[in-house]
Amino acid sequence: MSEITLSELEKQYGDTTAVEDVSVDIRDGELLCLLGPSGSGKSTTLRMIAGLEEPTSGQITIDGIDVTAQSAYERNTSTVFQDWALFPHKTVLENVAFGLKMRDVPKEQRRERAESMLERVQMGGYGDEDPTNLSGGQKQRVALARSLAVNPDVLLLDEPLSNLDKRLREDMQIELREIHEDVEETFVHVTHDQDEAFTLADRIGIMNEGKLIQVGEPTEVYENPANRFIEGFLGDTNFVESEVVRVTDDAAYVETELGYELVLPSDGAPDVAEGTELTLSLRPEVLSIEQDAAADAVEGHEQPVLADGSTVNAVVGTVENVLYRGSTVRYSVSVNGTSMFAERTGTNTGALTAGDEIRIEWEGTDVLAFRPDGSRVTL
Amino acid sequence: MTETATRIPTSLAAVRERIAGQSSSNRALLLMAPLLAFELLVFVIPFFILLRISVAESSPDFVYAEGTVSLEAYASVLTSDLVWSIVGYSFLIGVIVTVLSVFIGLFYAYAIWRSTGLIKSLLLFSVVLPLLTTLVIRTYAFQPLLSPTGTINELLLSLGLLSEPIAFYPGTVAVVIGQLYIVLPYAVLAIYSVLATMDWHVVEAARDLGASRPRSILEVVVPQAMPGIIVATVISFAWSVGSYAAPGVLSNNLTFAIQVEDMMYGMRYPEAGAFSVLMLLLMLACIAVIFTVLNRFGGEFDLA
Amino acid sequence: MHRETLETAAFRAGYLSLLVFMLLPLLVVVATSFSGTGRLAFPPESYSLAWYGEFLDSVRWLDAFTNSIVVGVGTALVATVLGVTGAFGQELDDDSSMGRLLAPLVLVPLLIPPVILGITLLMYFNEIGLRGSYASIILAHTLWATPLVYFVMRSVFSRFDWQQLDAAQDLGAGPVQSFVHVVFPNVQHGIFVGGLLAFIISLQEFVMALFLSTPETQTIPVIAWTEIRQALDPVVSVVSTILVVISIVGIVLAVVATNLEWLSKQLS
Repeated sequence: MSEITLSELEKQYGDTTAVEDVSVDIRDGELLCLLGPSGSGKSTTLRMIAGLEEPTSGQITIDGIDVTAQSAYERNTSTVFQDWALFPHKTVLENVAFGLKMRDVPKEQRRERAESMLERVQMGGYGDEDPTNLSGGQKQRVALARSLAVNPDVLLLDEPLSNLDKRLREDMQIELREIHEDVEETFVHVTHDQDEAFTLADRIGIMNEGKLIQVGEPTEVYENPANRFIEGFLGDTNFVESEVVRVTDDAAYVETELGYELVLPSDGAPDVAEGTELTLSLRPEVLSIEQDAAADAVEGHEQPVLADGSTVNAVVGTVENVLYRGSTVRYSVSVNGTSMFAERTGTNTGALTAGDEIRIEWEGTDVLAFRPDGSRVTL
Repeated sequence: MTETATRIPTSLAAVRERIAGQSSSNRALLLMAPLLAFELLVFVIPFFILLRISVAESSPDFVYAEGTVSLEAYASVLTSDLVWSIVGYSFLIGVIVTVLSVFIGLFYAYAIWRSTGLIKSLLLFSVVLPLLTTLVIRTYAFQPLLSPTGTINELLLSLGLLSEPIAFYPGTVAVVIGQLYIVLPYAVLAIYSVLATMDWHVVEAARDLGASRPRSILEVVVPQAMPGIIVATVISFAWSVGSYAAPGVLSNNLTFAIQVEDMMYGMRYPEAGAFSVLMLLLMLACIAVIFTVLNRFGGEFDLA
Repeated sequence: MHRETLETAAFRAGYLSLLVFMLLPLLVVVATSFSGTGRLAFPPESYSLAWYGEFLDSVRWLDAFTNSIVVGVGTALVATVLGVTGAFGQELDDDSSMGRLLAPLVLVPLLIPPVILGITLLMYFNEIGLRGSYASIILAHTLWATPLVYFVMRSVFSRFDWQQLDAAQDLGAGPVQSFVHVVFPNVQHGIFVGGLLAFIISLQEFVMALFLSTPETQTIPVIAWTEIRQALDPVVSVVSTILVVISIVGIVLAVVATNLEWLSKQLS
């Protein structure tokens, strides 16, 4: 169990900057997921922790000791590779025992440790197998056992589940979590799959274009994203372009491309001016669909604050497409010519069809707003 | 009724499949026939003739005395001290060149594998280009380099590393260097073609688990490259033991190839044949040994 | 990482000196072809193009040149035909006993020292009356060239999508038609490379040619050998340099040909 500190890590390849100014304190025993699209620098960062890449500048310390100058074989880190990288000419047991062999552990002890490690990943008895004959999931487990056998300060996982099919991947994610709880080591796991990160992580670090944008618990990054990129990267949302038309002590009023004026309530005067362009994020889970478009219908393009001071926003639109997805139904809705979507769970009665007129409403406080530069407006 | 109706189509289909399969394998045999015929006519049969000639009496006018069967050629060859010393010398050259070419070949192939861009092209080029040059002349090129008045000696003398020129040429050293230059491109390419299919991540995994750079190569790269190493070894060995140009140009010593040519021009064909058969058998034995020894290293090996 | 930088430096020094070793003799060859004196000294004492002139005037060399080309082209043709049909047959084969025999049989000639091959074939061709013909040398060279073509074609065929053949037959093409229209266009640069390799191998093969050639059919390496033994003049270097240039041009053509194809596929 160790804590790892990355300070202002940078990696340049000629003219390209792969990793820029990455700093984070990885806590003792936590499972940190580095999440981001391809090319975001997450794998490069992981490889720098492993010592497989040398940082252009910056520092890496493990338990307070500066290991930046140490090469991969000197560090007590262990990596599980995306393609597992098992040694094809050695047996499964020899694979798992390899790290111990490098540490000059005597043969008998090696065998014992390796076998107990295999048991732990439910591969006991496979010791004499040829690793090339194993299935993806089995190779995955052997790779894990191999890396854990050396008792690393930190276990690094470079998208090891990407090559598995969906059902297997989900099962392995859960197994991985269980192993993490069992061995109580610090894990750093790189992935581009948001669901995987949310399943596994104690904390998630989101990376894009070489920078580490936000680090926090899954609920934190989802509900409190630092910028527009994160909001768009995690899950699905409706992005609605708008312009501020009026600012008061406790709200901002925006004219939107939906053809409606909406209200964004805020805690104190919002930090925007008239004319500021904002992108609003309306997540499907905060939207509710009302079929009865007649009563309480909001007509035209006016969206006043309702008399009782509530900040419910509402728009009226026509259903264009119905996408049945098993557990949810997604409706693509045209609101004055602009498309947005809303969802319902499948057991909701009153199925809608294309052409139906509906009202979509949500609480003003559930909306997130972002400036053109991507930064978030505090409301 | 329906039973018979469904049975007939299936049996038709089965018959059609069988015919199609047959014609495909017939076609395959037909296609392979020319090559097989060629090998038989130009390779297998000539060797039987070689064997035949080796068990005949020699004749001053013809290749061999027609209709005779005799082991005198073998007797003369096996009891000749000259022959055995030549065998020893040829195998010596063979072993030295093979060891050098495999180690250097492995090193160079690894360097090519790990390099990129211009360097990689340059290194590959440096291996392919010698193959395109006349063997005779590139062996001969070592004369001006290795002679007592040649380039290398001049260099070493001027650097003060030598007080007197060494006659690398003519001599065994020159033969070894010249022969090495001939077989090295093949060794490098044989090993490189295997390395090129290897997964670099496996080497990284070894380093990640605590193997130093040299050790990771020994534990991971070498065992996996073994098929290429075996090919390199066998080719280097076979060609070096039977080498003709290098010893001929770069030394005054006798190797198998030169001696056998001599025998031939002296109208002692049966002896030449017997000598060749002897060499082939010895080489075969050595290659079998090489094969078994190297195959052992294709997996895990414990130095502790 | 101190140890690692040392290791890297040693590594780099190693392969760079090997690079020099590999290229040095070739430099000698080219340099001596421009030598001003009649001796094969390196570095040359003076420079001149005289020897290129000598070469072009020398009937013997030009004859040898012709012979080499004839033998080379012959070898390329025969080896290509045999190698392609053999490899193709092997691909279609369902593990017959003949099929399993083929690859090792094709490979073994490469392992026999060329001296033994030369002598054996000399005796053999004597018996069957092919002594002194171009055919004898072509057949000998084919023994060495065919394995190369065969293995190049095996790897080309293994990367070929054989379902295309099924598709063609499904659409009504007979076996020959489907080969010509479907397989061939896709593997032709493999065939070209194989043929080129065969030509180059034949061009510079020396030992077997030495034994099997007569004064009328002597190839370049054979003449080079006798010249070197006797005269020591740099015309040998001239010839070698020319051969290298031809070979390089051939390789460049092959690369350009394959890339042009790829290029035109991209453009259309």
